[in-house]
Amino acid sequence: MGRLRKYSALARTSLEITFVYRAGFAVNMIGTIFYVVAMFYLWQTIFLGSPGALGGFTWPEMKAYLLVAFLLNSLLTWYSEWVMGSDIRDGIVAIDLARPIDIQASRFARAMGPVPFEFTSALAVGAIVAFVFGGIALPADPAHVGLFLISAVLATLIKFGIVYCVSMAAFWTTGTDGITVGRTAVQNIFSGALIPLVFFPDWLRSIAAVLPFQGLISTPALTYLGKLDGPTTALMLAVQAGWAVGLIVLGRLVWRRAVRAVTINGG
Amino acid sequence: MAARLRPARRLVYIYFRCLGQQMKAILAYEADFAILMFSAVLVQIVGFAFIWAIFQRIPSVNGWTFWQVVMMYALIFVTEGVGSLFFEGTWRVSYLVYSGQFDQVLLRPISPIVQVLAGAVGFNGLGNIVTGTVLIGISMANAPVEWTPGRLLMFAILLVSASTIRVAINLGSAASAFWVRSPWSMIPVFVHQLGDFAKYPITIYSIGVQALIVVAVPFAFISFFPTAYVFGVEAWSLAGLLTPLVAIYCMVMAVVVFRLGLRRYESTGH
Repeated sequence: MGRLRKYSALARTSLEITFVYRAGFAVNMIGTIFYVVAMFYLWQTIFLGSPGALGGFTWPEMKAYLLVAFLLNSLLTWYSEWVMGSDIRDGIVAIDLARPIDIQASRFARAMGPVPFEFTSALAVGAIVAFVFGGIALPADPAHVGLFLISAVLATLIKFGIVYCVSMAAFWTTGTDGITVGRTAVQNIFSGALIPLVFFPDWLRSIAAVLPFQGLISTPALTYLGKLDGPTTALMLAVQAGWAVGLIVLGRLVWRRAVRAVTINGG
Repeated sequence: MAARLRPARRLVYIYFRCLGQQMKAILAYEADFAILMFSAVLVQIVGFAFIWAIFQRIPSVNGWTFWQVVMMYALIFVTEGVGSLFFEGTWRVSYLVYSGQFDQVLLRPISPIVQVLAGAVGFNGLGNIVTGTVLIGISMANAPVEWTPGRLLMFAILLVSASTIRVAINLGSAASAFWVRSPWSMIPVFVHQLGDFAKYPITIYSIGVQALIVVAVPFAFISFFPTAYVFGVEAWSLAGLLTPLVAIYCMVMAVVVFRLGLRRYESTGH
């Protein structure tokens, strides 16, 4: 119990920090809102021009897809990522090393702290956008909602796994912005955040299939819409779980190597 | 006339000297420089892939063809690249004002605006300029218009005007720091993100959004109107010719707003 309290305290502090720097949070949010609104207009025009389904999506389904993507992208934002990178770069990580805590678990607690706040803000914004654009498709089967929530939790674990691994690049570089931008770009295309993966040609889709990114957006969104049949859903959730575990283990392995870089540089 | 020219040339000289110092500072970190450039290129490729994937399914969006949309998209990024590579300093204004470091700027016998513009270098801009230029080149080759010397010259003028509008928007919104006293003012980021709308043809938006990016913050003159002009889209191409005038207007407004802001600056510690 005592061990859990350490980490929940870290999560709470991290949430409080988000409240203190709410201007930064708001900027980040506003940026994504403009982007989402532009996407809604673009797809609305596309569906007006070709009524019916595109790539197997109807307009209400596409709206739901865009909103799920927006919601999941809003979790574990740049702030958590930036803190991970800059703690390493500025040497603050030395303090963490001296503490009687597990580094990865403490990073996880700190990244998860603001998630409820990020989730509710994104949900509120998403609801407004959805309302303005005439509503979204709801899951046909209540079971899809449950499966979607499981998939969304796994997506968040995968995202943490990726961000944690990538943040360790800061052991070797001085700036972290470039890496964040690059990682986001790759993630946006292969996760299906920009456009459902079904719109890609086969070769691009087969690349996406072997990468962890599709578990971030595509799998949860398709689960929500009930686009996958029973066995496929089970398989995709298992793939997500596999990536979540794999990336977290990888993070621990990389950390063990990376931390040597600290001892060398820091004397 | 010569007497008027000399100070202008001196300003340009000082601008490049300041910028050169910033470049040295950044090039010292080679890995960062390479990563920043490479990620900017990645972002562009991904954006292009998105547009491409859409047009695999449909022939046109609201009458706009693939290469027209690519041109609009690329113009947004090339001008953003010009803003980052040569005029990144505008993004530092709010921190300088908040921390009182703007004192340094005012103590030097050089135009504060020139110092602000040359205050930083964003090498991600180079990645944006290179990839964006390639995309613009391919779009031009695929445009169903004849590239006469006159049209090429006009396009060059439009490019310069579009970049000027971008820098003016950055400078004008950075001046908000003199009114909003916070370590980083939200307004420049907010304004910058409005540019997201101008990546796509403005005809897809409601009248409210159109007014926002045509009149309030004229991002449409960076991407949409120049594209309509070079592709000879009748309904909009005349407005494209207004781009240089809009550029002059934006720059004058930005300088006026910045100067008004300067009068409000009172350093820290009061």
